Amino acid sequence: MNDTENARFLYLSSLLGKKVVGADGSLLGRLSDLVVHTGEPYPPVESLVVRSRSGKLQLPWSSVAQMNGEVRLKPEAQPSAPPEAPVPDRVRLAEEILDRQIVDVEGAKLVRVNDLHFLEVKGTLRVAHVDVSLRGLVRRLGWERLVDGAVSLVRPGASYLRVENLLSWKLVQPIESAPGRVRIEVAQRLLATLHPADLAEIMEELDRHQREVLFKRLDVETAAEALEETSPELATELLETVSPEKAADILEEMAPDEAADALAELPSEARRELLDAMERPEAAEVQELLEYSPRSAGGLMTPAVVELRPEATVADALAEIRRRAEDLPFVYEVFVSDAIGTLKGLCTLKDLVLAEAGTPLGKLMRETPATVGTGADLQEVAVAATKYNLLSVPVVDASGALKGMVTVDDILAEVVNAR
Amino acid sequence: MPAEPGAAGEAPRRSPWRSLSIFLAVVGPGLITASVDNDAGGITTYSLAGSQFGTKLLWTLVPITVALIVVQEMSARLGVVTGKGLADLIRENFGVRTTFWMSLALIVANLANTIAEFAGVAASLQIFRVPPWLSVPLVAVGVWFLVLKGSYRVVEKVFLVASLMYAAYPVSLVLAKPDWGEVALAAVTPHFEASGAYVAMLIGLVGTTIAPWMQFYQQAAVVEKGIAVEELRFTRIDVVLGCIVTGVVAYSIVLACAATLHRAGIKVETADQAAMALAPLAGRYASWLFAFGLFNASLFAAAILPLSTAYYVTESFGWESGIDKKWGEARQFYWLFTGMVILGAAVVLLPRLPLVQIMLVSQIVNGILLPFILIFMLRLANDVKLMGPFRNRRWFNAVAWGTSAVMIALTAYLVAAGLRDLLAG
Repeated sequence: MNDTENARFLYLSSLLGKKVVGADGSLLGRLSDLVVHTGEPYPPVESLVVRSRSGKLQLPWSSVAQMNGEVRLKPEAQPSAPPEAPVPDRVRLAEEILDRQIVDVEGAKLVRVNDLHFLEVKGTLRVAHVDVSLRGLVRRLGWERLVDGAVSLVRPGASYLRVENLLSWKLVQPIESAPGRVRIEVAQRLLATLHPADLAEIMEELDRHQREVLFKRLDVETAAEALEETSPELATELLETVSPEKAADILEEMAPDEAADALAELPSEARRELLDAMERPEAAEVQELLEYSPRSAGGLMTPAVVELRPEATVADALAEIRRRAEDLPFVYEVFVSDAIGTLKGLCTLKDLVLAEAGTPLGKLMRETPATVGTGADLQEVAVAATKYNLLSVPVVDASGALKGMVTVDDILAEVVNAR
Repeated sequence: MPAEPGAAGEAPRRSPWRSLSIFLAVVGPGLITASVDNDAGGITTYSLAGSQFGTKLLWTLVPITVALIVVQEMSARLGVVTGKGLADLIRENFGVRTTFWMSLALIVANLANTIAEFAGVAASLQIFRVPPWLSVPLVAVGVWFLVLKGSYRVVEKVFLVASLMYAAYPVSLVLAKPDWGEVALAAVTPHFEASGAYVAMLIGLVGTTIAPWMQFYQQAAVVEKGIAVEELRFTRIDVVLGCIVTGVVAYSIVLACAATLHRAGIKVETADQAAMALAPLAGRYASWLFAFGLFNASLFAAAILPLSTAYYVTESFGWESGIDKKWGEARQFYWLFTGMVILGAAVVLLPRLPLVQIMLVSQIVNGILLPFILIFMLRLANDVKLMGPFRNRRWFNAVAWGTSAVMIALTAYLVAAGLRDLLAG
């Protein structure tokens, strides 16, 4: 057979249901699944599952003699019972991938697998692509020739006929199969390349079990970034699915205001447990935010602000910003307060950049256009931001001491969610 | 993939207050589905059943309600345990071909229902002297904007409150002073007529009460609410309450119509006539009360049906869906929704259409599709890999298979009777 010499492409849908016959031509059953080894970038088919009259049988791929109209086995082929439990780094394609949802990492969205595309080289079958196209659906329905004919009659140049809508196997992330260590590492690297907002949206769309599986695959940093973008309800749900230690690590990585929102939804015992597991300074910050109602300025604010004395110089301020770059989500301005903590004024980033390095902030600072109390509602904060064109609104307590700031992105998120 | 039971270790202590608060957090899908269930097709079918057959169909409502409870519980359980919608489960477990035919059947049935909802809009607003050529296009545009551009969640609450109007039926029934002894007897005396009209009405009654779209809708609502397996027992209460509400409403509409319209010998052909069942309560305002209720129910369902159909179909084929997507991103989703609204409204605008008959026929279509949906649900709910310890119990299977078998037999009879009439005529 020349086929075994040349490379050729095959679809899973064209293989499933093929007759599987022994070397003597006796019918064993029909092909019902292919098992691949996912340790490699393009996973090779390792064994085949045959549905016979006496139940399901598994055979190593090496026992296949040839595959054309039917699958013919070698004389020494030994069928065995398929394993009961999922085997690490092995995926049953028809059962675990076909018709399921997977993450298309390149397109940053969820897609449903209509077919799988194999490359056959020298008798080895490797998964090359995932077919998510309309044409894949048509092929599964068994109407490919009919529809192809109809389309080329009406519009010979239609993109339906030309564009092979195939996603590379390397750029997709199956959710419902048991991954081994190699796969987990690849998955972590792959998922970390997604924008946190896209990852959050994908998780919102997945069902409860799938999103749990996906979430557990994320490294702490990616998980924290994604949780900052999801709704607090979902963040809470996901945090409850991992161990308290990992949850605490993730919460430490998150911006304190987002972490507080996620914790606020938890029952008090679970919240206590997580706060205890967190590092002291992060826990204290979050604890303080939790005291406020989630929809008030206190609940919306981030405590991560740059606050300096009037004697500090412009150079000090810039150095402070650089030192804390990691935990400051945004820097629009530096706040100036006196010895007892009362907010006196602020310097914008532009002020700092344009001023001489040695100028004390007390001389440079301008009056704070507006502040809100920790109990202020969203409306008040939004009005203050709009009226004075502020990118962040400082939040002060009853004594006038600075507690944090509400940034405009958090205001917008609240306004959009309220609709 | 069910969660391993007992993973959390010791059972949490529950005070009655905590149970109540969990119940209130979980409640919703069952009761909301029940309210949407009494849509234009439902009110009309119950009214016609009562006015044409008096109390002769009354006995069927108790077994129908039992079957409704079994089926709706199964749908809620599937949603809670698998975390997936029914359309997703069908695609993942039965493949593309089954999904394709199922989607096609669902689109046809739901389109028939949407047509019925717009017929309900036309019929109810006619009572207020608004002609259909004006009311139907206006409402269609309104529904389109409401769902795609408005805040639907807020409006949903208005619909739910307005559906309390069904309480008017039991009151009207009591005021009509039926012969309660006769009513009680009819409620437990099985009666069967081998006429095409009776069988068609029976299929319509089952189809409107246990509508196929409800199974998809309720399961999706349970999934969206993120109800956990530990909360399943609260969801069950929610579902059973909803089914009982549906049953009571159905019962009182049929009975009220039997006690008023059937007794007066009126054969309902227009909504105005159906409204007279409320006359003992509302007197000459009966038609306004009826029109208000019918309009509310029609609008509610006319918004939900096209939207939910668009969701199920696109999700099971893996196309993007959701009203937060742009038109270009989720083209199939928007076209399905828009197409169903436009078609549903356009059919009603055909001149000289018997609106009341259309509403009945749509419910018969539901009844014919029901057994097929039930068979898929049964296979899924009995799948050990999917449901684990939560798979169906034996008597559940008995009731659900029994319902499917009865519906298939009735449909076969209806088709045979239809063919016979066709050949004879």
